Amino acid sequence: MEFKKEQLANGLDLIGEVNKSAKSAAVGFFVKTGSRDESEQINGVSHFLEHMLFKGTEKLSALEVNEAFDRTGAQFNAGTSEENTVFYAAVLPEYLVEVTGLWIELMRPALRDDDFNIEKNVIKEEIAMYKDMPSFDVMDQCRSLHFDGHPCGNSILGSETSIDNLAAEQMRDYFARRYAPNNMVLACAGNFDWDQICSLAANSCSKWRQQTVERKLEHFGGSKKKKRIEKSNLAREHICLMSSGVSARDPRRFAASLLGVIVGDDVGSRFFWELVDKALAEAATMQFGAMDGTGTFCSYIRCSVDNVTKVLDTISSIFQSLSKNGITEDELRKAKNKVLSALVIKNELPMGRLGDLGSNWIYLQQYRTVEDDISSVKAVTIDDVNSLIEQFKPGDFTQLSIGPAQDREQKTEDR
Amino acid sequence: MTEKLDKHILENGMVLLGEPMEGVASVAFGFILPAGAALLPEGCCGAGAVVSDWIFRGAGDKSSKELGDALDGLGLHRAGSVGSSHITVGAALEAGNLAQALDLYADIILKPSLKEDQFELARQLAVDGVLSLDDEPRQKVMLKLRERFYPSPLGRSPAGEIAELKALTAENAKQIIKDNFNLSQTIFTVAGKYDFDTVCQQIEKLFETKQQKTIESVTLGSKAGKYTHIDNDGAQVHIGLMTETVKPTDEDYYNARVAVSVLSGGMSARLFTKVREERGLCYAIGARYHCLKDAAGIMCYAGTTPDKAQETLDVIIQQFDKLGDEISEEEIQRAKVGLESSLILSSESSSSRAGAIASDYYILGRVRSLDEIKNKIEATSVDSVLGFLRSNKFKDYTVVTIGPKQVTVE
Repeated sequence: MEFKKEQLANGLDLIGEVNKSAKSAAVGFFVKTGSRDESEQINGVSHFLEHMLFKGTEKLSALEVNEAFDRTGAQFNAGTSEENTVFYAAVLPEYLVEVTGLWIELMRPALRDDDFNIEKNVIKEEIAMYKDMPSFDVMDQCRSLHFDGHPCGNSILGSETSIDNLAAEQMRDYFARRYAPNNMVLACAGNFDWDQICSLAANSCSKWRQQTVERKLEHFGGSKKKKRIEKSNLAREHICLMSSGVSARDPRRFAASLLGVIVGDDVGSRFFWELVDKALAEAATMQFGAMDGTGTFCSYIRCSVDNVTKVLDTISSIFQSLSKNGITEDELRKAKNKVLSALVIKNELPMGRLGDLGSNWIYLQQYRTVEDDISSVKAVTIDDVNSLIEQFKPGDFTQLSIGPAQDREQKTEDR
Repeated sequence: MTEKLDKHILENGMVLLGEPMEGVASVAFGFILPAGAALLPEGCCGAGAVVSDWIFRGAGDKSSKELGDALDGLGLHRAGSVGSSHITVGAALEAGNLAQALDLYADIILKPSLKEDQFELARQLAVDGVLSLDDEPRQKVMLKLRERFYPSPLGRSPAGEIAELKALTAENAKQIIKDNFNLSQTIFTVAGKYDFDTVCQQIEKLFETKQQKTIESVTLGSKAGKYTHIDNDGAQVHIGLMTETVKPTDEDYYNARVAVSVLSGGMSARLFTKVREERGLCYAIGARYHCLKDAAGIMCYAGTTPDKAQETLDVIIQQFDKLGDEISEEEIQRAKVGLESSLILSSESSSSRAGAIASDYYILGRVRSLDEIKNKIEATSVDSVLGFLRSNKFKDYTVVTIGPKQVTVE
């Protein structure tokens, strides 16, 4: 493994980890922009823009872009989160230069009105699709409730109304402000020639103009509100719990991940033994998610409506016991083993490696080897995890449930 | 591509297959047990889901908790599934812990505790799994589609039927384990970093038994029907569509795979272009080749808001019907590059390889090398694919929809 880096005069970072024994190579553009960087008027624009980049440039039509990707046999896609938009592809080594060249071209899209109007329909279909996935919907809505006005609670997809009202001009303006070279990273991993990628980027990206790019970073403790939404077509209760955690720059993020595994891994965790193994809930997981300036512990539970009270009581006692007694040595050992093997397996693939390489650069401006991450996980102590529990009180959460309509008698009883 | 295949057969007939991989520190393994949904007795639909949970609730001298802790202690990532023909139990982990993991899995498969109280919990979770499908119409539509498309009992839902799950007893489930965890028809696969001699010795010690009686093959019944609609007041109509095509043993198999790739391999393929890019009808649209040992089909999914459902279905069927009219040289080239590239990219993952060699061996009775697959894909042409499509015209579309509005199927 060999790490390489370069910065163009306009601020575009180029990074790469070369592994000549890999059978493939992966490339990605990591753009530091997402729904938290949007105002209410343009909510959903980051994600919509991600779609629009595939619609071509002044020289390429949408179909020509798709054909160009498919000619390389690339496995490629893009994703938008609250704070990053990532475009990536995995290919056989001989195609990496070609596919990188294509991504570079696409980073300066035409954003044509006609394409914008057709793609609006696709975005609205995507919004509708997620409405039919309550496990996603509940987390999305819980995030908004938890962040309660803080930009990290902005919906990634936007709403049907915000998408309807969005104008192509607003998107062009957002693009000009956010897709500045100094707000982007071009990363490669696997079997590739660094010098070729570097000269390609230097030749093609140097004319991109630097901008002043800002993001407000405020930690937010969470609203701790509780809310239930009824949907007549649902059969099960979907519950999301959210509390705050450390940020992506905080060295305690490794301890926070381990806490997530101890409490809510899909097997062998406290949630698993108390809820799933006993068949009180069919699914119960908790994960730590690190963000820019803040972080969240997010749980998802699915159960029958009849079990809701028992499930919430059980969760409450799990968190009480954690804050009173902390975690055990044995739990920490098992969680570390799980996290370490997942890390090894994921990083064996150039595509898996690209994700960690890019996000470490985005958040830390730092190259970390897999071994660095392994050492950081191994170094976490019981006290590290217990002091996180003490400080962040994961049992003190925002709660949003989506479930079937309850009859009137049931509602009265609940009150 | 000079991958090596390790193979050994125990005296009882259990087949051990391995593919060593360079430059990895992980290993993935799987036991492929002949206990899939189609092989179970009538009236037990979903028993596979119960059984594959129950066997993990204590085994050998370990209680459920002790067993779970032991597996977690190895940092192992469980990978299990219930399919039409098999129950697969396996895992991916760091190579150094393989021997300990295999000891635990031998207990899980051969000496599960099968306590009555644990059965009730496993059954409850299986019932919950079926109920939850009502909230996941996209998954449910594909399960229903397989059920309707494949001749009975091949398409039986691995998730189960509520009434049959409720009627299932611990005794029935024990009998299924006794009859269907048949080592003479079990395939064990391993891929990644391992030493095959050591693995063989260990598996032989743990799993060598007398030859067991062969499970009778299933008698195929009829297909369930052309169009099924399930009403659901959701945001979209979820459309599943399937039509018959050749099996992997057929000489036209690679022509079929390339044809599906022209239809829906990448973003420049027909369905994505015509349904999403040109008309904006869907976000999710795609078709893929799907096969069992005894039947195969092209399986398509699209999700769209109710007013666009009919047009979406019509455009999809039109694209299937038109595929054999004309295909350009460039389309064939892109399809081939896409198939070859995904073959090689997936060969970097120990889990994918462990799964691929198992499925090859079960369906073809041998494992194809990556070179063989690549050469066969390479050998297809515009003429061979069109020739195949013209002599195997798509007909008899099975369609299932879930959503607030029905469609009309011609």
